[in-house]
Formats: sequence, structure tokens, C-alpha cells
Amino acid sequence: MTRKINLGLIGLGLIGKVHLKNCLGLKTVNVQAVTDVSKKALKFAREMGVKQVFTDYNELLRQPTIDAVIISLPTYLHAPCAISAAENGKHVFLEKPLARNPKEGKEIVSAARRYGVKLMVGYPLRFFSEFEEAKEIMESGVLGDIQTAHAVNIGAGPFFHRAESMIPRPVPEWWLNKELTGGGVLLDLGSHMINLARWFFGEVKSVKAYLGHRFDLDLEDHAVCTLVFESGTVAIVNVGWFSQKATVGIELYGTVGHVQKYYRSPSRAITAIQLILGRTPRFFKPYLKEVSYFINCINEDGRPLLSGGDALKDLEIIAQVYKNQVRLE
Amino acid sequence: MTLLSLIGLVECKERQVDSIKKAIREALELIDYSFPEAENIVIKPNMCYYWDYSTGQTTDPIFVAALIELLREETSSNVKISMVESDASAMKCKYAFRYLGYERLARKYGVELINLSEAESEPTKVKVGNESFKFMIPKVIKDADLRVNLPKMKYMSFTKISCALKNIFGCNPYPKKFKYHSRLNEAIVALNKVMPFKLCVLDGIMASGSGTVKLGLVMASLDPVAMDTAAAEIMGVNPKSVGHIMLAEKEGLGETSFKVRGADLDYFKRGYPRKSITEKALLLGYRLACALGLDKRLI
Repeated sequence: MTRKINLGLIGLGLIGKVHLKNCLGLKTVNVQAVTDVSKKALKFAREMGVKQVFTDYNELLRQPTIDAVIISLPTYLHAPCAISAAENGKHVFLEKPLARNPKEGKEIVSAARRYGVKLMVGYPLRFFSEFEEAKEIMESGVLGDIQTAHAVNIGAGPFFHRAESMIPRPVPEWWLNKELTGGGVLLDLGSHMINLARWFFGEVKSVKAYLGHRFDLDLEDHAVCTLVFESGTVAIVNVGWFSQKATVGIELYGTVGHVQKYYRSPSRAITAIQLILGRTPRFFKPYLKEVSYFINCINEDGRPLLSGGDALKDLEIIAQVYKNQVRLE
Repeated sequence: MTLLSLIGLVECKERQVDSIKKAIREALELIDYSFPEAENIVIKPNMCYYWDYSTGQTTDPIFVAALIELLREETSSNVKISMVESDASAMKCKYAFRYLGYERLARKYGVELINLSEAESEPTKVKVGNESFKFMIPKVIKDADLRVNLPKMKYMSFTKISCALKNIFGCNPYPKKFKYHSRLNEAIVALNKVMPFKLCVLDGIMASGSGTVKLGLVMASLDPVAMDTAAAEIMGVNPKSVGHIMLAEKEGLGETSFKVRGADLDYFKRGYPRKSITEKALLLGYRLACALGLDKRLI
């Protein structure tokens, strides 16, 4: 029988707030507590009806009645927080990327195994209707064999806040620190697209990439990777932090047919109006689906498809790219 | 006829130092500008957040490079030039200087790049209308014998437009600039009073409005009020509805009446990507939501 899962949300940045709004509307979930270092974020949570708020995630993890946590923290905190959550017996939904590097990723995966908790990594693109449809079309056979593919995720990256709020907001400094992020756009958006491509085409045999630095950051702000899959498909992953306009999509070129599916992002004004009116913007829905899926996995004792082990493979591919990169000046 | 109200307009669509330098020179000749003897020049480009020149929202480093070459040709090859900007609520100079290409520019041309929020400054008091302000004035600006304002023209939610007068708001070293938002028009005018930048050269080659276009505009004036009035007209905004323009005129910083020399103002009016009625309505709705406190629901 389905029971209500007591949930704790750790981190209330942009995506953390999306999860909070979504979870408060889920009948299978009781949002018991949230934690964030920002008092403003905690005030936001209180106003949304959350009773327990903490500034230290360890306090939240010590709450015995919490069954599971959603971790939406800066990447350098993924490993310590997820491992601590596992040690405290909490199921873990962890925002992508799994960690800064495969070493940390492996530590998270083994902690989840050791303490017998479920670990799911947040890759919402798998829950976008456009990509679900593309996969269905591919699997129906009407495209023949997919010989080549193009996966694109271009946007503003850390400079994103402006688009949603209509006024510029400070970029959190950890975003601009290579040590704290573990990588640039390839880790941030590339992990999305590599994971999506692996969902479509299976495991990767080899990878080559070019990393670019338009803005002279320590981190790459654009990257183009060629992934060769064991299935024979060759996919180009094209990701960037350089554009005010966001584009996310996949193109499949098969021996019989072709299909292009792009996520049509609603305008910022429409998103703002929906939020002001208390409605759920379209942008939130895939995040709602992925958290609902995670809660179902807990209730039905299923293994999440987007497991830590799956996300670790993405990290290993990215680590290989960083090791053998060709840097464009 | 007075020099203060002249506006020089030149079309320049090539993003190359030599072409831009030629256009700036022409625009300055159109307003009868003579370079003074100078040993210490300050340039204030417009850096806003971390979007580079291609968006039309920040002054192009190549435009600044063209001006630096011109200044050295017309004053002295040894003249000391400083480019200045200050930290803001959402922008830190340590990142903006690098991401927007100003660190490279400074290295290439041997000019100083100064974060005013970290520079030596001294307090001053100023009154505009009934509002009193106390600002820290950076020594580098106070001591300069020529100050050049290199604004962009763009829409801005709080002040309707941003151009020459608003660019000087960025000379206030205090980083938490939202503190002034309740009396922004007065603060803009006050800063222009205590730090007058008479020479204004607008980089309108890439222009940001409702979207971005290559407008190819170089505009020069010795009057920031006249420049802002001309910019407002190009952008389809009634200058009389722009609080800081009218206040600046009242405070004697310049005149809203001006005479255009060079290219046709209407040509640039036609090319500028003006806001549609829908966009204006959405902005009005957003302002209304903010006034009612509903913007707290945004994430």
C-alpha cells in the first residue's frame, strides 16, 4: 500500500525551490523539513507552509521520521551530504551531476549500497515529453537504424537567474570556481545530454571533445563532443553557457527517417505570470514527474533507472574528456 | 549656437578598431570637439552583468580600444588612461573585467583597469531637489583631467532607459546599488553632479532593445542630457516621461533640446528594435506585481 513519504529538502536554490513547490502538491509526500544557508530561502519555505527549517543539513538528516531527501546543493557538497544522508538511512534523490569526479561519485554509490538506501540522480530530460516521444519513435523502428544524432543544450548556465526573475541577480560564486564545481558546461549541461544520449543509444565506446572558453573563465563555457556508441550510433553533444536564449533538443538521423525534438521553453513572462497566479509552469512538470517516479520507487521498493551507477558512467565519460581534451583558444 | 546641445551621429557597421576610430573621430568633429591637453584620462564603459558586447548590453572592448588609440593620437602617446567600473548588486568587477574582455584590452593597450569599489575615495555631499546624498568619490575620477563616458542605450525597468546619465551611476563605489532604487532618478542626477563626464560617446554598434540588432550607431555629445534625449527618441520613449532626464535638465546638467549633425536620427529610429505593445504591457504588469508584493512568488 502506498504510504506518505516524509521528505526533507536540502538546498533551496532555483531547482530546490522548483522541487519544493512540486512536492507540496504531491499527495504521496509530506514535506517535513527544509534546509538552506539563506534566511531568505527559509522564509520562502515557511511562507509555503513548511514547519521545520534548518540552516545545517546535518540537523535535518538527524530527524528520525524523515524517509528521504532531495539534495539540490552546489556540486562540491554532493558527496559529503549524500553520504551522510545514506549513513542516516535516508533515501537520496540527488541533483545532477552525481559529483565533481568519478572518485566522489563512487563513494556516494557505495555509501548508498552499504546502507541499503535508494539513490536516484535528477536528470529531468528523461521526463520531458519531447524526449519521451523521440525515444518512442526511435524504438518503433520507423527511423531505421540511428546512424548519427545531435544532442544540444545551449543556454546561459550560471548567468541564468536573469531570465527568470527579469532583473539581474548575483551569480553564486561557487559556480565560477573550478575546484568547487569540478568542471564547466560539460559537467553541468553535458552530463544531461550524455545521459540522455546513453538512454537512447546505450553505452559509449569512445569519446572525443573540444572545449572552448569564449568568456575566459577557468571553466569551459562551450563544448562539442563526439560520442561513438557500442550500437554504432555516432552522436554529437553540443553544449554551451554562452547564450541568452535556451535551446534543448535532440535530432535523430536514421537509415529510414529522421526526427528532431526540441523543448519549447515558455517565455519568462508567461512563467512569471503562472508563478504569480500560483499555477504550475510548464518548466516544472518534468521535475514533478521525476520526483513522483522516485517516490514510487521507494513505495514499491523498485530500483530507480536513473541510479547512482548510471550517473557514474556519465561522470567517467566526462572525466575522460577532461583528461584528453583539445582546448580551443 | 551652443556646443552643449550638439549631437553628432555617424553610421559604422564594421566591428574593427580602425573603422570605429574613424567613426568616433567623425562624430567628435561633428560636435566641434577639440581634444584638451590631458595627462590623466578616465574612461567609463558600461558593464552590466556578464553579457558581452554581442548582446548590445555592454560597451564593446573594441570600441574602447578605438577610443584609446584616438586619445593617444590626439593627446599624447604617454597619456595615462584608466578604465573604471564598480561592483554592483549582481555584478562583480573581478569577473566582469575578465569575462567581458577588459582584462585582455588593458594588457594589450597598457591601460589601468580600476574597480572603483576597491579604489581610494573621499566622501562628498550633494543635494538634488529635496533629496540629500552622501557619496564616496573615487580619487581617480576626481583627479582626471578628461573623463569620457561610453554608454550603451537600452531599456531599463526602473528608469525606462539607460544611457549616458545612468552609466555614471556605475561610478558610485558602493556595491549594493539597489539601496538607491527608491530614489533612483535623484541618485543618478546627484552622481552626475559630483562626477560630471562631459564627453559622451555612445557605442550603438550593437544595440539591445526588444532583442539585439547591429544598429551601427556612433553618437557623440558634450551634453549627457541631450544624448539621453536623442537616445530616448531613437528608442521610442518620450524623453519627458524619463524622470532622470528631466531632473538632470532642471539641475543644469544639460539640455533636452539638441541639434543633430551627421547621419539622420530617423534612420536609427527605424533600425532600433523597439518594444512592442505586448512587451510594454507585460512590463507594466510586472511593475504592478512588484508594487503589490506578488513578485515574492517568483523563484
